[in-house]
Amino acid sequence: MRTAAQAWWFAAARLIVAVLIGLILGALLHSPWAGVACALAAYLAWQLIVLARVDWWLHHRSVSEPPETGGVWGRVISQIVRLHRRKRFHKERFVQLMRQLRLSTAALPNGVVILDAQREIVWFNRMAGRLLGLRPSVDLGLRIENLLREPQFTRYLAKGDFANPVVIRRSSPKESYLSLQLVPYGEGEQLLLATDVSRQMRLEAVRRDFVANASHELRSPLTVISGYLETLSHDPALDAELGSPVAEMRRQAQRMTAIIHDLLELSRLEETDERVGGEPLEMAALMALLRKDVLARPAHPQEVRVRIDSEAALVGKESEIHSALANLVDNAAKYTPPEGSVEMRWWVDAEGGHFAVSDTGIGIPPEHIPRLTERFYRVDPGRSRATGGSGLGLAIVKHVLQRHGAELEVQSTPGQGSTFTCHFPPERVRIADEALLNG
Amino acid sequence: METADLTHHISRRFNEDLERVRSKVLSMGGFVEQQIQKAITALTEGDSALGESVALGDHQVNNMEVTIDEECSRILATRAPAAGDLRVIVAIIKTITDLERMGDEGEKIGYIASRLATMERPVDKYREIKHLGRIVTEMVHDSLDAFARMDAESALRIARQDRLVDEEYEAIQRQSITFMMEDPRAIRRALDVMWVVRSLERIGDHAKNISEYVIYMVYGKDVRHTSLDDVERELRREPAPEIESQGGAAS
Repeated sequence: MRTAAQAWWFAAARLIVAVLIGLILGALLHSPWAGVACALAAYLAWQLIVLARVDWWLHHRSVSEPPETGGVWGRVISQIVRLHRRKRFHKERFVQLMRQLRLSTAALPNGVVILDAQREIVWFNRMAGRLLGLRPSVDLGLRIENLLREPQFTRYLAKGDFANPVVIRRSSPKESYLSLQLVPYGEGEQLLLATDVSRQMRLEAVRRDFVANASHELRSPLTVISGYLETLSHDPALDAELGSPVAEMRRQAQRMTAIIHDLLELSRLEETDERVGGEPLEMAALMALLRKDVLARPAHPQEVRVRIDSEAALVGKESEIHSALANLVDNAAKYTPPEGSVEMRWWVDAEGGHFAVSDTGIGIPPEHIPRLTERFYRVDPGRSRATGGSGLGLAIVKHVLQRHGAELEVQSTPGQGSTFTCHFPPERVRIADEALLNG
Repeated sequence: METADLTHHISRRFNEDLERVRSKVLSMGGFVEQQIQKAITALTEGDSALGESVALGDHQVNNMEVTIDEECSRILATRAPAAGDLRVIVAIIKTITDLERMGDEGEKIGYIASRLATMERPVDKYREIKHLGRIVTEMVHDSLDAFARMDAESALRIARQDRLVDEEYEAIQRQSITFMMEDPRAIRRALDVMWVVRSLERIGDHAKNISEYVIYMVYGKDVRHTSLDDVERELRREPAPEIESQGGAAS
C-alpha cells in the first residue's frame, strides 16, 4: 500500500489530469470552461459512487467485503476496518471477562446479592436465589427487607452495625438457618452475603444438649456420694486416720456439685441468646444482699463497701443478674487478702447504668484479661483450684450480660487489685419513680 | 407488562413515604409470621416459656398496627393519593387489620401452649397441628411475598389454598370428636386443641384476605365474596389492567 502522502498526491494528480483533459477537450470544442465543468462533474459523480459503495458496505459490513476502491478511499476503508477489529477484540475480551466473573460469582457456594443505596436488589447469584427464595428477574428492584422479613434481620438493618453477621431462621423454601451479612461498598451500595449455617447450628444444639444432659446425669450419682460422705464424716466410729481424706473428698464432691450447677446454668443461658425482658431491680437491696453474702464467707476481706450513686433501677431478669453480680463479687472476695477491701458501686450516666466491683487483691496480668471469660480458663491453675471455683463464673457473667445487652470491662494491675465493670445500655435503666419512692 | 409497571411505578417514582409504609407493613408481617411459628413450636414442643413470650409479644404487633395506621392517615390527608396509589393505601390499611388479628390468634395459641405444656402430651405429639401449622404459616409467608412483589398470580393461588386449610380443619374436628367420645378425660385437652386449630384456620382466612388485597391492589378489582374461578376468568380475559381509571376501586 502506498503511504498517506503518496495516496493524496496521486488523488490530487488525478483531479488535475481530469481538469486538464476537460480543459483540452473543451478548448477543441471552443468552450474550455464547459469542458472543465464537465470534467469536475464527472469526477464528483465518480466520488459519489465510491462514497455510496462505502456507505452501503458500512451498513452491511458484517456480511460483505469492503469495496475495492484503492486510493484515498481505500486508505479510509482500511482504517475503519482496523478500528473495527480493534474494538471487537476489546469487546470480546471484556465480554469474556464479564462472563467469567459472572460464572464464578454464580458458582460461589455462598449467596451474594448486590443492593443499591435504597437496598433494592440489583443482582443476585443462583445460590442467593435458592437460599433466600428470590426469583430471578422478577425480584430485581424490590427492597431486600420486603422479602427478608425476619424480625432479627429487620433489627440488624435498623441497628446499622454490619461488623458481624446475623443468623436468621427461615422456614421457607425449606427449614434452615442462614447467616446474613451486609458489606457496604462504593457509594452506598451494599453486598448481602448469605450462608447456610443449618449444619453448624444443629451441631451446636447437639453439643449444648450433650453438656446439659451429661451434667444432669452426673448430678444424681454425685448427690449419693456427697450424702454418704456427709454421713461418714459425722460417724464417730470413723478411723481417725481417715478423717482428713474424707473431709477432702467431701470438699471435692462439693466442688464437683458447684461445677455441674454452673454447667447447667450456662447451658440454660446458652439455649437462647435472645434478649431477656425482666423487671426493674432495686440495686440498693441487691447490693446489700451481695455484701451480706461476702461477709458470710469463712474468710473475707475486712472491708466491704457499697456505694450507690443513683437511685435508678436496673431492668433485668433478677435470677440472672443476681447470679452474674454475685459471681463478680465472689471472685473479688476470693482473691483479696483478709486485710484488703472490696468496693461495689452503681452509677448512671448518659451511656447507661454501670456496676463496678473493685478489690485490692492480687490482680490479673494483662495477657490473661482477654481470655478470662473462656470456660475453665485459669490464670493460675494451682491457686484457683485451691479456692474452689468452678472456672465457669465469668463465662456465666459474660452470657448474662450479653442477654441484657451489657458489656464487661476488666481493668487490673497485678499486685494492686482489679476492677470489673458491667456497662448496661440506657434502655436497661429505669429512673426511679418519685411517686413510688415517696409513697 | 402492566403489573411490572405498577411495581416499577411504586418502587421508583411514587414518594418515599409510601414505600416506607409498605416496608413497615412487611416487617410487621415478618414479626407476625414469627409469632405464629413460635406459637406452634411452643405447642408442639411443650415449651411453656416460649408460649408465654409469644403471648407477651402481641402488644408489639398492636403498636406496629397503630403506627402504620397513623402514617396511612397522614399520607391520605397530606398527599391525597389517587387511583393506584390510593388502592395501595387502602390495601395497606386493610392488611394491617388482618395482620393484627393474626397476631391475636397467635397470642391465643401461645397462651394455650403454655397451659398445655404442663399437661401430658398426646401420643401423636400434635402431628396434625404441625401439619396444619405448616400449611398456614406457608400461606402467611406467601401472601406477604405476593404483597411485596405485587404478584397477583401467586395471590390467586394462595387464596385457593384456603380451601385446603378448611378441609384439614374439618378432618381434625372429626378426629377430636372421636377422641372425646373414646375417652372423656381427654375432652379438656381436645377442646384446647380445637381452639388452636380454630385459630390456625382463622389465620389462614386472614392470609387469604391479604392475598385478595394484593389482587385488588394490582388489578383494582374487589374479589372478596366472589368465587375464585370467576375471578380468574375475569383476570384472564382482561390481562392489561387500566391503572388510572378503575371505577369502584375503593368500594
